[in-house]
Amino acid sequence: MNSLVAQYSRPAFRNEGFSEREQDEFSQITPPLSLRFAMPPIANPSSFLRAVTDDHSNPNCPIKLAHGTTTLAFRFQGGIIVATDSRASAGDWIASQTVKKVIEINNCLLGTMAGGAADCQYWLAYLGMQCRLHELRHKRRISVAAASKILSNLVYSYKGMGLSMGTMCAGVTPQEGPALYYIDSDGTRLAGNLFCVGSGQTFAYGVLDAEYHYDLSEEDALELGRRSILAATHRDAFSGGFINLYHVKEDGWVKHGFNDTNPIFWKTKLEKGEFSNVTSELV
Amino acid sequence: MLNANSPLASGPSYSFATPPNQTSTNIKQHSFNPYTDNGGSTLGITGDDFAILAGDTRSTSGYNINTRYAPKVFKIGEDDGTGESAHIVLSVVGFAADGNALKERLNAIVKMYRYQHGKPMSVKACAQRLSTILYGKRFFPYYVHAILGGLDEEGKGALYSYDPVGSYEREQCRAAGAAASLIMPFLDNQVNFKNQYIPGSGEGHALEARKATPLPRAEVEQLVRDAFTSAVERHIEVGDGLQMLVVTKNGIEEIYDPLKKD
Amino acid sequence: MPRILLNLIVHHLHLSSASKMENLLGLTGKDFTIVAASKAAMRGATILKASDDKTRSLNKNTLMAFSGEAGDTVHFAEFVQANIQLYSMRNDTELGPPAVASFVRGELARSLRSKKPYTVNLLLGGYDPITKKPHLFWLDYLASVAPLPYAAHGYAQYYCLSILDKHHHPDIELEQGLKILRMCTDELQRRLPIDFKGMLVKVIDKDGVREIDWDSSKAVKSA
Repeated sequence: MNSLVAQYSRPAFRNEGFSEREQDEFSQITPPLSLRFAMPPIANPSSFLRAVTDDHSNPNCPIKLAHGTTTLAFRFQGGIIVATDSRASAGDWIASQTVKKVIEINNCLLGTMAGGAADCQYWLAYLGMQCRLHELRHKRRISVAAASKILSNLVYSYKGMGLSMGTMCAGVTPQEGPALYYIDSDGTRLAGNLFCVGSGQTFAYGVLDAEYHYDLSEEDALELGRRSILAATHRDAFSGGFINLYHVKEDGWVKHGFNDTNPIFWKTKLEKGEFSNVTSELV
Repeated sequence: MLNANSPLASGPSYSFATPPNQTSTNIKQHSFNPYTDNGGSTLGITGDDFAILAGDTRSTSGYNINTRYAPKVFKIGEDDGTGESAHIVLSVVGFAADGNALKERLNAIVKMYRYQHGKPMSVKACAQRLSTILYGKRFFPYYVHAILGGLDEEGKGALYSYDPVGSYEREQCRAAGAAASLIMPFLDNQVNFKNQYIPGSGEGHALEARKATPLPRAEVEQLVRDAFTSAVERHIEVGDGLQMLVVTKNGIEEIYDPLKKD
Repeated sequence: MPRILLNLIVHHLHLSSASKMENLLGLTGKDFTIVAASKAAMRGATILKASDDKTRSLNKNTLMAFSGEAGDTVHFAEFVQANIQLYSMRNDTELGPPAVASFVRGELARSLRSKKPYTVNLLLGGYDPITKKPHLFWLDYLASVAPLPYAAHGYAQYYCLSILDKHHHPDIELEQGLKILRMCTDELQRRLPIDFKGMLVKVIDKDGVREIDWDSSKAVKSA
């Protein structure tokens, strides 16, 4: 009788401690590559997430995620310039002034991050993994078009779940030459010559559009990228910190510094006579 | 179903200033509310050959104090009571239950790593792993700000700070939690020498900024004490005790100093 | 109570006003169909791209133009495109425009009853090489379909349908068709408060789909 009872009764503490899935995770050598995310035990996870994390719809939300940015990238005869600021803010609080918003997917592909910092970091790292797998499977490097489509299809499958990213993929491949794509969490994917993304995008566009030509020299292109980010950090409170500059060429990308905006601002003002609205006297 | 706040349900409202009044039945909507804030603050600073992680030990809910000794800083990957085998420290501040769950989980993973690989997990690997753990709950986040500390492959102090869903960055110093906004500007000035200039190096914009250099351990320990005693003066959720874990090549040292208990 | 149910659906799936800024136009003639789509890709207060192609050819003689929710549009169009091409490969035959239209409508209707419907408005232009007849179908995100001689989506509906009502005739030549289209795009350029960066114009006839050079650089005189 006891054995019969034992056969049909459940262990008393089965639901306590770690679940089987969690135990699996501990004993696995590498973290799971299958995309399994914990979900709140309710009918509508996305509205729950909005209530706790979205300070736009709920200013008192408990979890503040890093937001606010200016990033830009443009194609020109010498390759692609990628430039970003480095500020991360959570509400009014400046969470960091030293964020690396250019993500090095591999030695000839770059991604930029705007929107949720974690979303961009995680999914661009995931993209890097997929690109490497593509290389191993097909014995040649992935095209920028294909890489950007992996990302856009991925974020589209999470549409409405609250991911927030506005990203650009820049790279040079033998098939395509210099290629630039804009991908956002709506699922939009656009190829183009020039994009600015983030809360400071309009200010960056203002400077960049006025002086942009495809035939820009390398030096002028780098300076234009730097100056456009500077313009955005000056007018957009959510942008600031350091200017992160990259140049993508045929044989990979080159980093052109991570420089404090403040000295660059004063240099620009004093040597070129720009920013004339900034005066030393109180009016 | 009609929205309880819509003018249709609550009758016409005649002014834009007064919100539509609630119906007399006073319908309450049940909601899923799995989070609370247990207050407190943590901070971490690195030096040339050490990393310090510190946290106060007060735990609050609202204006109540739950306990005056609830640690927020933990050794990760120790497999005996002595903690001698651990070489990584983690601090978590925010929702204590989530913080504990996160600590337990990372602890188990770091231990399993050593059993399976026969070598301790590097701080760099552990930092990346913690990020994926946090992101694994992207749609039901751990309500915590985590800081991870240890020594990198070259033996230099390493510190990684995280947002609740796993975006992370290596830094020299970081404050988190209730008094982060009080402590962080102090650290910017005293550790990274922000807004400090070399006297006599020039006038106005030509002034040369003071270069940040790694600080000696004694100085850093004193900075941590100063940061916390000051935070205690001005923040109600910080106080009672200060727990510091110092990681050096000789292991992890624990220091406990009392803080004001009012 | 079916009326309430319908109301709910309309309420939940309201198209954003931004997508009304995307203009689609289509008209048929004697032996051709013209489909035109505005070239601006907009996000908030920014035009991200001024040469966007909001069309996909589904097979040799059908072209689909789309507007609506960002992401949904291209995704749905490429999904339909792939399936129509798969059909052609499997059966070694092309579907005629009416058959393509009912397939697309079916997919929209299926999606409408799913957890996350596609919010996409479409124009489907084609030329049937067997019957030698042009076709134009108007479809909206609620999976309504209507075969029409001329059609529009977005604000173009409000400005252009009256022009087409006045000037369109079923057996016009291509040249006349383009002339009427010019009247429509000029009116949009004149009256719309936002620059939609001109139109991309494509013609479908017995030779398949081809793009037509459409110059919108000339300023349109206002009254």
